[in-house]
Amino acid sequence: MGKYLLKRLVMMVITLFLIALLTFVLMHAVPGGPFTSDKQVSKAVLDALNEKYKLNDPLWKQFLDYMGGLLRLDLGPSFKYQGKTVNDFISNGLPYSARLGAVTLVFVLLSSIPMGIVSALKNGKWQDMLVMALATIGVTIPSFVIATGLIYVFSFKLGWTPMYGVDKWQGYILPMIALGGYSVSFLARLMRSSLLDVMGQDYIRTARAKGISETRVVVKHALRNALIPVVTVLGPTVANLLTGSFVIEKIFAIPGMGGYFVNSVTQRDYTTILGMTVFYAAFLIAMVFIVDLFYCLIDPRIKYE
Amino acid sequence: MKKFLCLMLCVLLAFAGLAAASAEAPVQEIVYALANEPDGIDPGVTNNSFASPILNNVFEGLVDYSSADGSLIPGEAESWEISDDGLTYTFTLREGLKWSDGSDHTAADYVYAMKRILDPNTEAKYVDFLLGYIVGAEEYYADNSIDFDTVGVKAPDDRTFVMTLKAPAPYWIDILAMWTFSPVQQATVEANGERWTATADAYVSNGPFRMAEINMGESFVLEKNPYYYDADQVKLEKITFRFISDLGTSLMAYESNEIDGMDQIPTTDMARLKAEDAGVVVTPSYGTVWYDFNCAKAPFDNVLVRKAFCLAVDRTAIIEDVVQTEADPAYSFMSPGYVLDGEDLMDAASDNDLSEEADVEAAQAALAEAGYPDGEGFPEITLSYYSNETVGKVVEAMARQLQDNLNISIKISNADWAVYYDDILAGNFDIGAMGWSGDYLHPMTFLALFRTGDVNNQVMYSNAEYDALVDQAANMTDAAEAFEVMRQAEAIAAAEYPVLPLYYKANTKLMHNNVQGYFVTPSNDLLLKTAYVAE
Repeated sequence: MGKYLLKRLVMMVITLFLIALLTFVLMHAVPGGPFTSDKQVSKAVLDALNEKYKLNDPLWKQFLDYMGGLLRLDLGPSFKYQGKTVNDFISNGLPYSARLGAVTLVFVLLSSIPMGIVSALKNGKWQDMLVMALATIGVTIPSFVIATGLIYVFSFKLGWTPMYGVDKWQGYILPMIALGGYSVSFLARLMRSSLLDVMGQDYIRTARAKGISETRVVVKHALRNALIPVVTVLGPTVANLLTGSFVIEKIFAIPGMGGYFVNSVTQRDYTTILGMTVFYAAFLIAMVFIVDLFYCLIDPRIKYE
Repeated sequence: MKKFLCLMLCVLLAFAGLAAASAEAPVQEIVYALANEPDGIDPGVTNNSFASPILNNVFEGLVDYSSADGSLIPGEAESWEISDDGLTYTFTLREGLKWSDGSDHTAADYVYAMKRILDPNTEAKYVDFLLGYIVGAEEYYADNSIDFDTVGVKAPDDRTFVMTLKAPAPYWIDILAMWTFSPVQQATVEANGERWTATADAYVSNGPFRMAEINMGESFVLEKNPYYYDADQVKLEKITFRFISDLGTSLMAYESNEIDGMDQIPTTDMARLKAEDAGVVVTPSYGTVWYDFNCAKAPFDNVLVRKAFCLAVDRTAIIEDVVQTEADPAYSFMSPGYVLDGEDLMDAASDNDLSEEADVEAAQAALAEAGYPDGEGFPEITLSYYSNETVGKVVEAMARQLQDNLNISIKISNADWAVYYDDILAGNFDIGAMGWSGDYLHPMTFLALFRTGDVNNQVMYSNAEYDALVDQAANMTDAAEAFEVMRQAEAIAAAEYPVLPLYYKANTKLMHNNVQGYFVTPSNDLLLKTAYVAE
């Protein structure tokens, strides 16, 4: 097990390095630079800026400098926002994104798994139809449409929830539904098909033949196996939810990380693009790793050597 | 019966209003939505127009625009004198000026602010306005080891600030209204470095308001500055500038009274909001929306081709149907707005044969005269623009009009601003979406754009006679004489169509009718010094 963990950790570092390298190369390959703004600055100013941010150095040196900073967990200054660092964007935006993400995750888990189970156990009955109809809506309608619709009805027309921001706890409700809608639907469908699949297995028939109660069959024997595919996609889903969604944050005016990340690309804010990408990648890789460890707990047949 | 009901309702409403009025005075706090977060709020550094609502209300320079008729009035300087040769400006500051933290604020702070801008490490984006005008500034910027005494900014005593210019510039006072020339407090800048703008405590200012809270990505909260020299005039206690980038969300918040105003109006809602008298505020802007011609490259090196294009565009259709905004059609690059002795520079300007609607016959005639009868043999040209929804719609409409009216073929291309603008600067375009909003309220901000070799002369227009007139006007000390010379210069360039003028910008914003007493300058600066919430 120890050897396996070490191997995984090395792999993770290499993956991150490659992601950083690839992002760095792509970003510099795209035309346009960080200091093109709506008003042209003179050459003297541009020279001073390039000098200060070391953009005159050869690319390999810029990359090495950046990696050096990365080892010290310093993601560098933003080229666009004066006096701000990429660490500022993350330390400031992540709590908002993560808080909303955590609430959404609880909402997703508490609704999708029961929905999937009910749907599978009542296969073909009206409960199944209802759940699948909801799930289809959730998967097909884009989150920004759901978000705008929710604000219009619950904030604008009914006045039950705040229009924007998360200053009050009620502010989390609509973004949670809009952000989690897709995941709820997706996981419910996955849970349903996975459980249906497991329920048809031989060992379930054996369990039933031994006279074990139906509840016990489902909870003890079927569910644990049926959860494996769900846990697999849970890793990326968690990373996704916690790091925030640009669209949802924009519509609800939540000061999370998403906005800075997306804007940094059009603004060619090199350090921000790189820093956020690396951060997001690290988060995603870590989540996938944790999920892999979870397999052992769920399925005793899986062992890591 | 309907009329009677209406009347009854009015009476009832009036009573309700009276009752509310006698109950309690309105809270002097407003929430104003901004669609974009500025890239910084350091007055010496940023040139980002998104910073305007903050900088123009927390800082004040020597002169100020918060007057009912939009004219320049004394700010922190109570008076000033200009030497006869037009080179030396001597400002006398008001007595007992204070920073927002209560400490004393003197003329030396102005000198420090200028010195800081002239340090390349400060990254001052508007440094050109010092380099181009102030004695010794260029030399000092190039080499900071030079003695700063060689630079023409001095503070002989606490209340006197002297600036010395390289050459006379009658519009220098107008330039000084820019936030770049605001003083900054040396103590906080030196103690906190670049991060003095990151926390409300460190962000010391000198204007009618001061920073109370900085919530990154979320809001700036301003409060009344008790140390402001004119604090008695300041009525608002608190202003929250909240960033809401989704206009749909901010509009719903506005219509349900959660916010008091917003700086952009979704174009599709404009007509409805106006009809409902929902607080659409339209103010003239010192800016023009135009399309750059590449005057250095065929076929647009031919003035007749440029003329044909200018004639073939239906401005009314674009303003009313496509942009759906409040604006006047433009026949010149120069926006009206500069007034001297009651006369606008553009009052007597020629329409350069252009009109509100397309003049197809004249356009075709000009194109034929240029050697392309009925568009024959005219190369396919590219109309480029930067990714923006409204601009995209305009470009589509314009391309259609040009194709139909001139019988030519047009390709459309679009890119991110960073890529697009690099192409424009490199002369890599035929026609490109552009425009200009005056940095300061003086025609020179427009005229300089078309001077041969100017850093902003992207259209590569060049006319020796024009250059001479602009240089002449720039160095004149007599405003009335300069006015005439600038008029001539405008007429020369506008008649050669260096750009395709579309419309003169108007600034639109939403503000509930009960917020009153604020000013919007032609540079679209919202000045809240004397604003208040009425009943």
